[in-house]
Amino acid sequence: MGTAARLSRANAPRQGIHGGFLHSAERYAHRPAVEVRGTILTYDELRSRAMSLAASLQRATPSGGPPLTAVFAYRSATAYSGVLAALLSGHGYVPLNRTFPPDRTRTMLERSGCRSLIVDGESEPQLEAVLQLAKEPLLILLPERADTRSLRSRWSRHTILGASDLEPAGKFEEKPVLPDSIAYLLFTSGSTGIPKGVMVAHRNVAHLVSFMTARYGISEHDRFSQTFDMTFDLSAFDMFVAWERGACVCCPSEKTLLNPAKFIQDAKLTVWFSVPSVGVFMKRLGALKAGRFPTLRWSLFCGEPLPAEIAESWSSAAPNSVVENLYGPTELTIACCLYRWQEGKSEAECLRGVVPVGYPFAGMDVLVVDEELREVPPGEDGELLMAGPQVALGYWQDPERTATAFVVPPGRNQTYYRTGDRVRRPKETAPMCYVGRLDHQIKIQGHRVELGEVESLLRQEAGVEVAVAVGWPITPSGAGGIEAFVLGNQLEPRAILERLKRKLPAYAVPRRIHLLSELPLNPNGKIDRGQLAKLLADLPQF
Amino acid sequence: MVVSAEDIRSLVLEKLQPSLDAKGLSAEDVPDNFDLLTEGVIDSMGILQLIVEVEARFGITTDFEELDPENLTIIGPFCRHIAKKSLTVNR
Repeated sequence: MGTAARLSRANAPRQGIHGGFLHSAERYAHRPAVEVRGTILTYDELRSRAMSLAASLQRATPSGGPPLTAVFAYRSATAYSGVLAALLSGHGYVPLNRTFPPDRTRTMLERSGCRSLIVDGESEPQLEAVLQLAKEPLLILLPERADTRSLRSRWSRHTILGASDLEPAGKFEEKPVLPDSIAYLLFTSGSTGIPKGVMVAHRNVAHLVSFMTARYGISEHDRFSQTFDMTFDLSAFDMFVAWERGACVCCPSEKTLLNPAKFIQDAKLTVWFSVPSVGVFMKRLGALKAGRFPTLRWSLFCGEPLPAEIAESWSSAAPNSVVENLYGPTELTIACCLYRWQEGKSEAECLRGVVPVGYPFAGMDVLVVDEELREVPPGEDGELLMAGPQVALGYWQDPERTATAFVVPPGRNQTYYRTGDRVRRPKETAPMCYVGRLDHQIKIQGHRVELGEVESLLRQEAGVEVAVAVGWPITPSGAGGIEAFVLGNQLEPRAILERLKRKLPAYAVPRRIHLLSELPLNPNGKIDRGQLAKLLADLPQF
Repeated sequence: MVVSAEDIRSLVLEKLQPSLDAKGLSAEDVPDNFDLLTEGVIDSMGILQLIVEVEARFGITTDFEELDPENLTIIGPFCRHIAKKSLTVNR
């Protein structure tokens, strides 16, 4: 692994969001860059692996595709070297997740048009299902596989390279990266049933990283949690903020993550970042004991509303840390507003027991508007629009939906992203508060789910005209899950659920399907979701 | 309240019945070393939800500090751990 050390590029211009990693690899070559399920990779080792993969991508990626490489890897060393390799090769990375249904992964791969794919050992068994409809010849890198002969004969139209076929790290040639190039393409739930790919540019992430590293005073001694899967954009915070300053990203297995308290203690974390749901469950299980997490310096939450009682309990469990609530949709690059929890002061600033989303990051502009996109007066509720350097490039190959969501409101001269979130426009210096969602998009354990997508798949799979999905039970942070209603009685709910499981991530699959002979309607003739919720409240739970 | 591991197992299986049905498994088919997570019956948030529900049903609180995370999603050790805790903590 000594090759990379000789590839010293200390004076090279810093380009792209991986520039921080390369810089840290020079300064902190022998410090840990990632600790993934107990295996430590130093900056030097990770750089070597990434450069070897990047050189192989540069040599063998079929021409004619978009500047994107898929990383089909989950909580493994290959996931990290894969992300860096894609970036080093001049591509954006497209994270794929083996815990999603293979059908969904295949749709994402097809939609992205990627011609190259980096796969870890544990995701390999799904390749068959994912590749079965691949139209173009692909380059598939399998850095954890020694013998690729059987795969080569099975997929003769694709180029398959195993561990021994990879280029040496020394063959890597640095590519210039433009600020507007895609750093990552992330798929989120789409209302038509087809996931939307959000294009996030290097300059978007660079703005966040420079703001966050300065704010949190990150150093090479910091140890970050990685609670998020790479298909969740908050994972990019952990990686790029940590690597910018030589810190270590600690990635637990799915199982270790089930006992977060033990993980924080064993990994000696200094920076915690998760969805509030993790805190909610830890509190209910009695894991937030006073003074339990003395190593934490920062405790960050994002992805769903943060209940005040969780902020308070977490503060006492991690007495040396500052608790901050972050807010931001994928389209605004990870997070773009924040609020610092201060005991004695914050309680009064909460709205309905939820911690405010606070204030925009430096450089980001807030606009709270009514339906005609006119600014509402201070103290009133409206949709949150935001502009500035973190506004993403738009949706991949979807100019229509990009134009709907990324708009220039009347009388303004820059592009704002319509978040679909209702907030209260603050008076004077008060923090901004979150009120709710505008549409039928809900949060389940921090994951954004378009109920419209679930309904559209339900109609398709059940072969019915009308299907309704509701978030249930309602929790302070969104919903615990989904319950579905369909019109009809000659149906097999279990079989329908089984088919849905092949199309939707687990959190978006309805817990139950209820068959109704008629659906309650409100006076406007629309389905009365309130009545359906009442129906659920009267049913036994499970 | 003192609860037996068998009581907890019955409740767990009852709650997970739709997922087990979908896999064509009946409650009797589920062995002691059945891993709810890797068998795809439940996800990581689901297991926590399950713990909360088991606790609510039996009116107990459980500390999972001593249980190896590796065992947390395996039905036998999971139920026995809660049963053991119900003896020591809630008596």
